[in-house]
Amino acid sequence: MTVTENRPDYKWVGTRPIRHDGYDKVVGKARFAADRNSPGQLHGAFLRSPHGHARILSVDTSAAEAMSGVKAVVTGADFPDLPIGHPERDTAVNLMARDVAMYVGHVVAAVAASTRAEAEAAAAAIEVEYELLPVVLSLDESIADGAPLANADNRTAFSGSDDPSNLATVTPLERGDVDAAFEAADVVVEREFDTAWVHQGYIEPHACVVDVGADGKAEVWASSQGHFRVRSQAAAVLGWDTARIKVIPAEIGGGFGGKTTIYLEPVAARLSEKSGRPVKIVMTRDEVLRATGPAPASKSRIRIAATNDGELTAIDGWIGYAVGCTGDMAGFVGAMSVASYKFPNLKMEFVGALTNTPRSAAYRAPSAPQAAFAIESVIDEIAQALDTDPIELRLKNAVVEGDLTSMGGPHPRIGFVECLEAIRDSEHYQSPVPDGAARGIGTGFWFNIGEQSSATVNLNEDGTATVITGSPDIGGSRASMALMAAEELGLDVHRITPVVADTESVGFTDVTEGSRATFATGMAVVNACRDLVGELKARAATIRGVEVDAVAWVDGAAVVDGHDPLPLADITAKAKSTGGPLTVTASLNAGGAGPSFAVHCCDVSVDEETGRVEVLRYTTAQDAGTAIHPSYVEGQMQGGTAQGIGWALNEEYVYADDGTMLNASFLDYRVPVASDLPMIETIIVEVPNPAHPYGVRGVGETGIVPPMGTIANAVSRASGVRLTSLPMSPPKVLAALDDR
Amino acid sequence: MPRAHLMTPLRRFTDGEAVIEVEGATVGAMIAELDRRFPGIGEMLTKGASAAVDGLIHAEPEYLAVEPDADVYFVAPLAGG
Repeated sequence: MTVTENRPDYKWVGTRPIRHDGYDKVVGKARFAADRNSPGQLHGAFLRSPHGHARILSVDTSAAEAMSGVKAVVTGADFPDLPIGHPERDTAVNLMARDVAMYVGHVVAAVAASTRAEAEAAAAAIEVEYELLPVVLSLDESIADGAPLANADNRTAFSGSDDPSNLATVTPLERGDVDAAFEAADVVVEREFDTAWVHQGYIEPHACVVDVGADGKAEVWASSQGHFRVRSQAAAVLGWDTARIKVIPAEIGGGFGGKTTIYLEPVAARLSEKSGRPVKIVMTRDEVLRATGPAPASKSRIRIAATNDGELTAIDGWIGYAVGCTGDMAGFVGAMSVASYKFPNLKMEFVGALTNTPRSAAYRAPSAPQAAFAIESVIDEIAQALDTDPIELRLKNAVVEGDLTSMGGPHPRIGFVECLEAIRDSEHYQSPVPDGAARGIGTGFWFNIGEQSSATVNLNEDGTATVITGSPDIGGSRASMALMAAEELGLDVHRITPVVADTESVGFTDVTEGSRATFATGMAVVNACRDLVGELKARAATIRGVEVDAVAWVDGAAVVDGHDPLPLADITAKAKSTGGPLTVTASLNAGGAGPSFAVHCCDVSVDEETGRVEVLRYTTAQDAGTAIHPSYVEGQMQGGTAQGIGWALNEEYVYADDGTMLNASFLDYRVPVASDLPMIETIIVEVPNPAHPYGVRGVGETGIVPPMGTIANAVSRASGVRLTSLPMSPPKVLAALDDR
Repeated sequence: MPRAHLMTPLRRFTDGEAVIEVEGATVGAMIAELDRRFPGIGEMLTKGASAAVDGLIHAEPEYLAVEPDADVYFVAPLAGG
């Protein structure tokens, strides 16, 4: 279902062609990084720290180097010691410890050998002498007075202080008079919440193959959300010029933010450089869970004031994120995420604090889900206290164009109200709540980002086209690029081949994050196509012997009064005689990303004997701006929701006291599977983003923001007790029921 | 004259002032003038902040032109998943 505001009559945009990469993925031809094999390649394996925090006193690799099949061994000493403050120091330190191991699983050394078994055996033979240091395992421990440092190199960002600290960021926000608002309030609800570390859960483990030639140049095959970032990060960690590295993007088997940074490539490069052979490294699932970035755990305290007529007059709170072993922007980004309600009075503080756990990484709308869980729960409780409809309460306080975000700036044209109305008017919300169940409502916001993208569009001699971009296709973006090009050129989308090119074959493109690919890279494609249409008109003018101003471009053909339309293919066929190949490149730094809102509704039942929560029905409405390919918009909405349901009900890192993760497999770290979920119903709301030629907003991230609050609100209404700790796993639900 | 709106963490440089009128034809020129008047704030703004101008957020907006009556909101660095 789609709810649309003033949508132009597009021919291709908004249709649902089969994705251009679909065949390869269905029949198994698509090549992921682990599918790559090079002649003579070696296999890499890691020695990882068994300690949560320890100084590395010595590393003896001599025994390993003498073992069968071993061709190279590297340690932290093989990499430049980037200074504190270098933008990639944390990346470098995380992928290979230098002097201190900062979590269980932190890489201390790596081996390349003829077989993986030989590499693993040699890695195990490396002898390391450690001096144990205090382990900081939780947010409370990290921010406690006198806490030991989780990472002595950390400085609090933007504080101006050069003193070591466990605090990555401290972000206070304030407007209005919070104290007066609470004094005048009719209703005040205050709660404390906590959420666990959760992983992005991508199916494809990190993998790469790196071949450093005798000329010192490296070819890197890698799965990532941004191969230009792989190149820049690898170059910084290795101390190389970027020109020495060519990154070839493999297909990606899920990223969700977790593949916006690197873990393997510089290590494989150094091993390849040392051995003179290509080196392949593929993580195991155990390594992925123990040593790649989860989303931060969090704790929060939220207090909201309201009047009896349902005006939310003030919010006061603190949200802390446990960000792992290096600095992180979670506290800043979390602060950006509190932007859904007017709140004339606001006083919040957002803190990111270091722990001796894996360095956290982005996960769909990073930091927003934790904040939304807390705030949406308190708002639901206010609705209960006022005995008012939870959607009407939100409608009364929802931000609209011109209202301020928490950080300042006014919202541009947004579709939050339209999403609330879409859920309110949905068949789901209008239907009775099933017997024995309860219904929850929750909302989410993500600001989305623009940044740099490039696109080249080549018209081939037969009138087909190739659209080349540098954005890895993580959610159907090839099809979206082709659809926008088809709309611009007036060309059948099936005659367009969208390609994701390597770092030497397309202009620089920022990493696919912040729901930016269809927005920003799409703008580059549109700009290139518009320039190309200008060139086509010029060629048509030459062919017809008229001034270019006399040529119009209509539905894929040049139209000149008094002549038959000149189809695109007739112009490309004469490219050689009219000026040469028809190709255009466009690049930009896209401003004006359109914020996206989502509103979710779910029905759940709670088994009072087992504590199991069953999600019976789930509907999501989200403002896509314009859905270029509605199937992939729906897929993003459903995927984010499914991951959010896992975050809400089951997923959590379980640590032993020494920092060892106890559930590092998909058997024990339980992501939802199809049988756990109902069909997730989708309502695409289309309030066009005025800053994009087709009105696109990003859609990849917002979908994961509302589910935790939505489900918590349903569970709380079903059970009669407010659930404030994630995941709402059966033991926690049972404990809450017992405490009623 | 354009107005610079500062997120709370930046107000330690301005003695708590949230909105500063500051000359500048570009965001970068505004930052330079802010740094002249409030030493140290320039590094914070160029290292990490994004800016919302006329309701649109821009990353690294140093050379972005601003109108004489523009409201420029300096906000946190942007990221995403």
